[in-house]
Amino acid sequence: MDEKKSSGISRREFARRAAMASAASLAPVKALTAESAEASPESRQVPDMPKLSPEGQAEVAARIQAILSQYGSRFSEEQKTEIRRLCALAQPSLDRLRVYAIEDGDGPALYLKPLVERERKPTTLPAAKPAAPGKKN
Amino acid sequence: MPIEDISFLPVSELAKRIETKKLSPVEVTQHFLERSEKLGPRFSAYAHLTPEIALEQARAAEKEIHRGHYRGPLHGIPYAAKDLLAVKGLPTTWGAKIYANQVFDYDAAVIEHLNRVGAVMLGKASMIELAGGMGYRFASASLQGAAKNPWDTTCWTGGSSSGSGAIVAAGLAPFAIGTETRRSIICPAAFCGVSGLRPTYGRVSRYGAMTLSYSMDKIGPLARTADDCARVFAAIAGHDFRDRSTLPIDKGAFTYSPSMELKTRRLKIGWVTNAWKNLDPSIAKAVEAAQKILRKYFGSVKNAMLPEGPFVDAGIIIIAVEGAAAFRPLIRSGRVGELADPLDRIAGYVHEQYSGADYLQALRVREILQKKMTELFDSFDVLVTAAQPIAATPLELNLETEFSFPDPLGRIGNLCGLPALSVPCGFTEKNLPVGLQFVARAGDDFAVIQAARTYQQHTDWHRKRPKLA
Repeated sequence: MDEKKSSGISRREFARRAAMASAASLAPVKALTAESAEASPESRQVPDMPKLSPEGQAEVAARIQAILSQYGSRFSEEQKTEIRRLCALAQPSLDRLRVYAIEDGDGPALYLKPLVERERKPTTLPAAKPAAPGKKN
Repeated sequence: MPIEDISFLPVSELAKRIETKKLSPVEVTQHFLERSEKLGPRFSAYAHLTPEIALEQARAAEKEIHRGHYRGPLHGIPYAAKDLLAVKGLPTTWGAKIYANQVFDYDAAVIEHLNRVGAVMLGKASMIELAGGMGYRFASASLQGAAKNPWDTTCWTGGSSSGSGAIVAAGLAPFAIGTETRRSIICPAAFCGVSGLRPTYGRVSRYGAMTLSYSMDKIGPLARTADDCARVFAAIAGHDFRDRSTLPIDKGAFTYSPSMELKTRRLKIGWVTNAWKNLDPSIAKAVEAAQKILRKYFGSVKNAMLPEGPFVDAGIIIIAVEGAAAFRPLIRSGRVGELADPLDRIAGYVHEQYSGADYLQALRVREILQKKMTELFDSFDVLVTAAQPIAATPLELNLETEFSFPDPLGRIGNLCGLPALSVPCGFTEKNLPVGLQFVARAGDDFAVIQAARTYQQHTDWHRKRPKLA
């Protein structure tokens, strides 16, 4: 047996455990004790799992754990599998959004007011044409 | 004219006949009520009919018109309202069994507006439960079951304004009110072969309407023509102090009359080349033919490219978070488990997990996108593309897997609150309608109406009607 392999943990495993510990610290104790054994994400195969970074996988695991810790008793096994799948599917959108370049001054479109152009750039009225010389009757 | 022939008349034609007393509002209402009672169940089109209210309103309209007090183009015209708009004393179910007995003691602002102009409410249109806020998997995600498409009852109407689409397509009412957060007017309009207007965000008050997404919900009409949509929009648009998202008085109101044609400007059309990854061949064929019409009747039609970025992702996160907030009591209490659709029962729990930082990131991306779209609209007045890349889908289809494709213009349009109008532009080989979508700068609703109206003046797809045996 490879001693090093058996005693060490991978970066991925470390991230997963860290995320689980973090989620667990926020979970109600009662819920956690009731759910932690059956809800451990590594024991469940997530079908159609998108390819995620180790950090992404850890985040997904934390999200699953947070849901199951709080609400686990409400779900059937099938629903739990579905929740794992949905959590995994949500991650790529978050990853793409987070890496999008945003500058410090870019503010949020809070309580959306659509950019009605006239509000932003007051229309410049065309200069009035000089009046045509009036016809003499 | 035999009364049967009025079923598919546009609002504009019905209004002329009512104003000149060639048609009586009571007769018109009775006609549409009988038709709705007979055919409505076939399409699961209505949540419920309101014949007493309809006939009372029709009689009042008739009396007024006889006295010479004609209120305008919707006076005495029947309509249906999506069942997420509160109507005093009536059930407002939001399409969900949980709310089957929900009754409000006030009218939604849109209903107030339509009462004021003398329109006649036939009933409440069926809809996808909670307007699809939890992400449904099947067309049957509704208290009334799957809404069936009048062009082919083995196909769906699209959602979430499912009943509104079916009602107009089957000639059960001249117009219906729908709502859109993400393609809920544009998709049913396209699938059902009718015209549907998604107004600029903030132009129509949402007071009394179910909230799904505070920053993206919009209310608009589905009708036979773009011209009809404009008439209804003019009646329901405007600032409302009870809905803080509405635009100020001078920018919220919309006035319309066909004579506005005289004031129309030359529109610069942008033909969007990167809206859909794949178009069904029969959709592509119809849309290419529409492009030729546009090139013939508009001075400038040039290719346009939508900005690229995680805009679809931003839309997904904003709707998910706002929906989870709106329906938090349902999620926390576990009552989401009583919803009809399997996805609806669990997705809210996942949506609740998005962080505040991610939500704000999505809002910041939205701000950037708004600026990019403003720049794009410096070159174009109206963007045009297919309303949907496929035609109406089979009723049993798994929408989560089979109806899941990126819709950049739909997402961008909804994220930025841009007005859009879908009109029929042809049929597939299976005789299912195809929609053409016009999108304009926020606040320039008239541009999409002008463009769609011009297109309809030179085509007759909007006059086609389904065979209803």
